[in-house]
Amino acid sequence: MANCPVCQAPVDEAAAKAQTGMTPGGAKEVDPKMGTRQFHDGTWYYFDSLDCRNKFTRNPDSYLKK
Amino acid sequence: MDFGYTPQQEALRREVRQFIRDNMTPDLAEEMDVHANAERPRGTSPSAHEFYRKIYERGWLGITYPKAYGGQGGDRLTQYIVEEEFTRAGVNIALNGSGAPAIMAAGTEEQKQYYIPRLIKREISFCLGFTEPHAGADLANLKCSAVRDGDYYVINGQKMYTTAAHSATHIYLMARTDRSAPKHDGISIFLIPMDAPGITVRPLWTIQNNPTAPLPTTYGASRTNETFFDDVRVHKSCLLGEENKGWRVGSMGLNLDRVGASRYLISVRRDEDIVNFVKSTRFDGFEPGKDPAIRDKIAEMWIEAQVCRLMTMRSMSIVERGGKFTYEGSAEKVWAPEHGVRTTEAITQMLGPYGSLLRTSPHAIEDGVFAHNVMGSFQSGINHGSVQVMRDQVARRGLGMPSSRKSRKAEG
Repeated sequence: MANCPVCQAPVDEAAAKAQTGMTPGGAKEVDPKMGTRQFHDGTWYYFDSLDCRNKFTRNPDSYLKK
Repeated sequence: MDFGYTPQQEALRREVRQFIRDNMTPDLAEEMDVHANAERPRGTSPSAHEFYRKIYERGWLGITYPKAYGGQGGDRLTQYIVEEEFTRAGVNIALNGSGAPAIMAAGTEEQKQYYIPRLIKREISFCLGFTEPHAGADLANLKCSAVRDGDYYVINGQKMYTTAAHSATHIYLMARTDRSAPKHDGISIFLIPMDAPGITVRPLWTIQNNPTAPLPTTYGASRTNETFFDDVRVHKSCLLGEENKGWRVGSMGLNLDRVGASRYLISVRRDEDIVNFVKSTRFDGFEPGKDPAIRDKIAEMWIEAQVCRLMTMRSMSIVERGGKFTYEGSAEKVWAPEHGVRTTEAITQMLGPYGSLLRTSPHAIEDGVFAHNVMGSFQSGINHGSVQVMRDQVARRGLGMPSSRKSRKAEG
């Protein structure tokens, strides 16, 4: 379990990546309610919402220093 | 200079219209609709494939592509006429946004032989993996990485607004292959099947969702996606063009992708609809077609649409003659979406308060399509290169102006 770097809410990384379906082209689909993530400086960070991810994207250093 | 159509071209237009009347069922119309469907991946059902097969048999797919790659070796005006009629019916048969122009320009012979015939027949389709969450319109700032490992590349990162990732068979991916190079010089393009292990699609719902836009909505998809890459291994043969030279390939491909009828036609479809609506509608004895203010506004919108059409024709003419195509597609990409915003707003103003109601209201006009069009029209000014970036390209490439401080920073 990770914590959202922005609001500190718990995010289940496995659930955020867990397959819930498959596209006709064969890609894995996930449940958007389980959060999202961001690839930053070679590391995946997990967020409980797009709003938090957007805040992080604007100024990642301010959240990673916390 | 003749802007009219020959009798043969008019006959072709009638033939296409008749074909659509004979073959388009309501169910197919729902699946094939250019912008409005979200839950049904567009054009993936057996009946959609059968529909495409019939269109291909008529010689109406890939009209301008060489016969050696499954095309018809035809001219762009013929393609324009055919595209216009299918777009009116809500079906996109153009190869704009498909990756095909870039593959033709930068692909190996093997890549052309494999991808172009299949793209033309709609056996495969590409989504575009360009934008990232932190980069926005500044594409060159991308961080999705592809690291060479023997004959393979290992890809990690993510893409944002990958519209059609939930229906495409392949992704046309821009990734960083050299982190130490200036940001425009370390980028490469990859052609990757969506079933490669490690690719994940997460839906993003747009303003056209909840309520989902009704079927004849002209602008704006209700679903786009985030796409994630976790240690995705692809063979080096997936590289399009040279390693680290992807910025030029991608920019050229995007520019060529803008040539064609679709940008003009999505506006024209709405312009024609409102003219027909105004001419045939009465409100409590009031005939909107006789109102001078409404007539003026509709005439103004029609003139704007014709400007858009002429810009499209010019772009097609330049590419057809093998001319230098630099800023023209960008100018078109500014004019057409902004005309779309103006025309959809004007339509709702003409219709009064009821014209702004979404389909969830029992008082909405024509299932709320006019209100949904206003909301969706703003998307077309952002996707495939925002109008702000397009204006910058017109200033630099068309008018020879120096880069602004901001664009210098964006381009490194």
